[in-house]
Amino acid sequence: MSLIADSVRVSWIDMCFIRRNIPSILVTCLVAPLLYLVAFGYGLGKGMTVDGFPYIAFMIPGVMALTTLTSSFNTVATKVMVQRVYYQSFDELILCSMSPTAIALGKAYAGAVRGVISCMILYILGLAICPEMSLSLWVPVLVVVSSMVYSLLGVVSGMLANSNLTLTLFTSLVIMPMTFLCGTLFSLDAMPPAVSAVIGVLPLTHTTECMRAAVLGTAFPWVSLAVMLVYGVAFLLVARYVIERGKS
Amino acid sequence: MSGAIVRARGITKRFGDHVAVDGIDVDIMEGEIMGFLGPNGAGKTTTMRMLTTLSQPTSGEIEVDGRRISGSSDPVKESIGIIQQHTALDRDVSVLENIRYHAMLHRMSRREADERIAELTELMGLTPYLDRLAINLSGGWKRRVAIVCAIIHRPRILFLDEPTAGLDTQSRHMLWDLIRQLNSEGTTIFITTHYMDEAEELCDRVAIIDHGRIVREGTPAELCRSIGQWAVEYRSEGRKSYRYFTERDDARSFLDSLPPDVPTVSRATNLEDVFLELTGRETVATEEVSYKI
Ligand SMILES: Nc1ncnc2c1ncn2[C@@H]1O[C@H](COP(=O)(O)OP(=O)(O)O)[C@@H](O)[C@H]1O
Ligand SMILES: [Mg+2]
Repeated sequence: MSLIADSVRVSWIDMCFIRRNIPSILVTCLVAPLLYLVAFGYGLGKGMTVDGFPYIAFMIPGVMALTTLTSSFNTVATKVMVQRVYYQSFDELILCSMSPTAIALGKAYAGAVRGVISCMILYILGLAICPEMSLSLWVPVLVVVSSMVYSLLGVVSGMLANSNLTLTLFTSLVIMPMTFLCGTLFSLDAMPPAVSAVIGVLPLTHTTECMRAAVLGTAFPWVSLAVMLVYGVAFLLVARYVIERGKS
Repeated sequence: MSGAIVRARGITKRFGDHVAVDGIDVDIMEGEIMGFLGPNGAGKTTTMRMLTTLSQPTSGEIEVDGRRISGSSDPVKESIGIIQQHTALDRDVSVLENIRYHAMLHRMSRREADERIAELTELMGLTPYLDRLAINLSGGWKRRVAIVCAIIHRPRILFLDEPTAGLDTQSRHMLWDLIRQLNSEGTTIFITTHYMDEAEELCDRVAIIDHGRIVREGTPAELCRSIGQWAVEYRSEGRKSYRYFTERDDARSFLDSLPPDVPTVSRATNLEDVFLELTGRETVATEEVSYKI
């Protein structure tokens, strides 16, 4: 209980930032997902069906999944890196007696908030334009879980990156490929087996599976949910470790 | 004064091949103002970061209140406050939010925090600036915010890393007054500086540090005595030279022995003399440091 209270304390200043900048944050949260929708959904995929669903209904949950990744990850990784390297205000967290777990969780919350905002707007939009999408309580739960998972990955990267450049490099080499390859915009059935085996290991693949099942009301892939949770715990442990060890 | 509140033995810090701090022993006594005086690059910041748990020593031991700090969440960390050389504020939120955040990190209750914030912002003249973004404050004001953040939880020992570097004279004197006031109220102070007058003015005890080692330690008066109480400045071969004497008479006879056309000054020695004697007058170009405040 005190762990949760401590992590909320840690996150407080990032929440202040969100509160101060809500209009511009809403805009930045929405531009990328809307572009995906228009470019792929209406531009490219009009009239196509995938797995028995119209393309737009197939891709919206995919875009939601990739949005939890990019939105949460970028927010947290950049924030932690800047506070650590440029503002040196991250030191204040090391100085007080907060545990590394509270720090890792607390720094993740701001990313989770942004992931949830972008994703829920997309979901509501999707419900309005796609009759195939169903209203399910599972969706918000999944959005929160996966936003937290990728926020924790953001904490790890923000702790390890020593400049904007290293962070950009990681984003281009790991995050970008994931957003395109993990079954978000097309079905993985068409992939050669070797490639889909690799993709099958990546966490975003499982987020997409879960999100699509929840949104379209198909059989829920419990294994994928478990895989995501395992990733989340792993990221938390690594984050805790790098925070503890991060005092150079 | 009663015993050491912080005690470090043989602390060493290496960055790759470079030894930044080379086996330093420090005792910070309860209630005192202890100063670390040294040129840029001497290892002052690195030492302070190790003493405050921000950095892990390569070797050596540090005890606070007679025991080693047992991990990140050791409650003993609550007795430490630090003002870093590079003012560490979140620049994209307001002054008040920065201060309140520190109160939260130290788990102060809302009421306790409100009272303390009102008291400290009043004391530091910060009240009109509370709603400004930290990024829009000038250096001296940012440092005041950093001070409020560092002392909000009433630490028993306050670490200040070159607190007056880059400040104007008014802010400098304000800060000295504040340090004296905190100290008279019982806060132990550890301060690093490369200003002689600051060390002489403030510190009960000074350690002179160079190339990662403590070269001498004592009260300012003891340090002056250690090279001799009397200084003679004279010109020889076109440059200023210095001689130090324990006895005034020796200084006199040395003065008498100089040719009459040599300009001389005789005076009491000061910390600057000690510092230059010990760290060398022919300064190897010291490292440039930029003060991000
Ligand atoms: N993170 C670091 N990586 C490598 N070298 C460092 C690092 N921090 C400090 N140093 C080096 O250690 C020495 C001591 O630095 P510092 O403690 O900042 O000195 P001071 O505070 O006395 O000016 C310097 O030579 C500096 O270049
Ligand atoms: Mg320094």
